[in-house]
Amino acid sequence: MKIVATGLEHYYGHEQVLRGIELSIEPGSFTAIIGESGSGKTTLLSILSTLLRPSKGDVTYDAKALSQWGSIDAFRRRHIGFVFQFHYLISYLTLRENIALAAMGEFHDQIDPLMARLGIERLGMRYSDEVSGGERQRAAIARSLINRPSVVFADEPTGNLDTKNALGVYELFREFSREDTTFIVASHDKKIADFADTIIEMEDGVVKNISKR
Amino acid sequence: MITPLKALRKNRFKTALIFISMSVSISAIFLISAISGGVVSMYSAMLKTDGDIIVTQKGIADTFFSDINRSFAEPIAKMDGVKEVSALILGAAPVEPLPIVGIYGVSEGRFNSYHLTQGRYPKRGEVLLGSKIDATLKHPSAIVLSKKTFHVSGVFKSKIGFEDGGVVMGLDDGGELFHKSTSIFLVSLNDLSKSDAVLKEIGMLGSDLEAKTTDSFIDSYNQFKIIKTSSDVIGAMAFLMGILGIVSMMSMVVNDRKGEFGIMRSIGLSPSVIIFKLLSETLIIALLAFAVAWGVSEGVLELIKHADKFQGYINGEITAILLVKVFVVSVVMALIGTLMPAIYASRIDPMSLIQKGGA
Ligand SMILES: Nc1ncnc2c1ncn2[C@@H]1O[C@H](COP(=O)(O)OP(=O)(O)OP(=O)(O)O)[C@@H](O)[C@H]1O
Ligand SMILES: [Mg+2]
Repeated sequence: MKIVATGLEHYYGHEQVLRGIELSIEPGSFTAIIGESGSGKTTLLSILSTLLRPSKGDVTYDAKALSQWGSIDAFRRRHIGFVFQFHYLISYLTLRENIALAAMGEFHDQIDPLMARLGIERLGMRYSDEVSGGERQRAAIARSLINRPSVVFADEPTGNLDTKNALGVYELFREFSREDTTFIVASHDKKIADFADTIIEMEDGVVKNISKR
Repeated sequence: MITPLKALRKNRFKTALIFISMSVSISAIFLISAISGGVVSMYSAMLKTDGDIIVTQKGIADTFFSDINRSFAEPIAKMDGVKEVSALILGAAPVEPLPIVGIYGVSEGRFNSYHLTQGRYPKRGEVLLGSKIDATLKHPSAIVLSKKTFHVSGVFKSKIGFEDGGVVMGLDDGGELFHKSTSIFLVSLNDLSKSDAVLKEIGMLGSDLEAKTTDSFIDSYNQFKIIKTSSDVIGAMAFLMGILGIVSMMSMVVNDRKGEFGIMRSIGLSPSVIIFKLLSETLIIALLAFAVAWGVSEGVLELIKHADKFQGYINGEITAILLVKVFVVSVVMALIGTLMPAIYASRIDPMSLIQKGGA
């Protein structure tokens, strides 16, 4: 899915945190958004993923405004996956139930294979406070991938993982990316650059540089 | 789905609070409605026993104050369509050690509407006791009313609490006791279609008389209106309290669960799905609270019924209609209490919800 943002601005109260963002993300690409803490990565990701309405500006998805896609909920469910900076699993549901809650009907039989692919197939009946941070994060990633969305947004997906697990997550993203899913990943982690084909550098609410490989 | 139960268990403290506040307000609605309904229905039942038409003094505030001439009974009895006229004196007096007891002076024709369980109908200077008051006074052989001693000639049993806790005597004794000819006439008809004509004729008989069908009398009776209005007001207040309790509790719950709802929105669940989940949680609570309140209320009513202190005067019953009404009220309570905070939360962007509350 091609995503184009024009003139994005965002304010929290009176504080402006995005100041006129223009960018275009190619379908099937793997884009990294890097920048210092507070530069506006999470805010930008939230707006691009429809989870936050921008104060100003527009985002189009395959040249259509969000409103032209019909129900925003159905759009999210079908096309968007989001991996949060913190795992954000629902604590009274098991890992498997968390994934199943997101899964559309036709993807329910994909839950177990996907969990296996992420190495958490034995943890399905556990609750999020009964597994390790890395396992939680992998469950959250499984939740974001279950409906084979067009775009997956990931905000510091490896923040709580050791190097080995972090590389594993990026490998997985790249695999899915080859299967035509667009990835947009925000991170401090410079290693992400090895996996990305586009790197967007943020500084103080503006895009400082875009580089492609 | 089991998720509502899991969510309830996770939030068990607040679940318990909501459950308790709902149970209390539903019980309050049950009790106040049942008791006031009981008072009205007992009194109506008493008047309806062989009375299609009630004749009272014109313009009186209460049947207790009504005073009409007994001799009107004869011309009324001769009217076309009239089967029987009985006179009834309604009074109240203390009977040691009870502070107030209903006293009924009745014309002889009406005695047979009291079902004797022992003894015989009273002559001059004698009284019948309702089984309840007979038991409370420990089966006395005589009682004292206004310094005058009356022998107990028998005991009767009545389903109407007022009567079962009351004293019945002849019309003459009643008239002397309360210094009046009679309070009201109860007129029974052979032919109900004649009732309009009979009402008209009675009206022409004396300018001091007021005749109404028993049904319209009961509808317009001030005491009933007062009882009904106050019970409606108290019931409505209990309902409001219930809603307020649930709304405030639910907004706390929704607030606690902002993060959870934000996550649900972010994975594409619509606000209506989330509201439905929340509703199924509150409905489970509401149904349990309804069941518990029903049980508690039946228990309390049973206790009241058998409390000597009330002499059976307070006798509430939870009728099927009341049950349905209160059930609807409980569900509405849950709906409003959940929808308000849930709709509010559904307007906020998922990311803001997630940032404001954890999962
Ligand atoms: N909900 C909020 N209310 C007010 N200010 C906010 C809110 N969220 C973020 N900010 C502010 O907006 C700015 C950008 O925040 P954002 O989270 O987008 O940065 P970031 O690049 O993701 O940082 P990090 O790398 O630390 O996650 C920061 O200055 C932050 O303090
Ligand atoms: Mg961030």
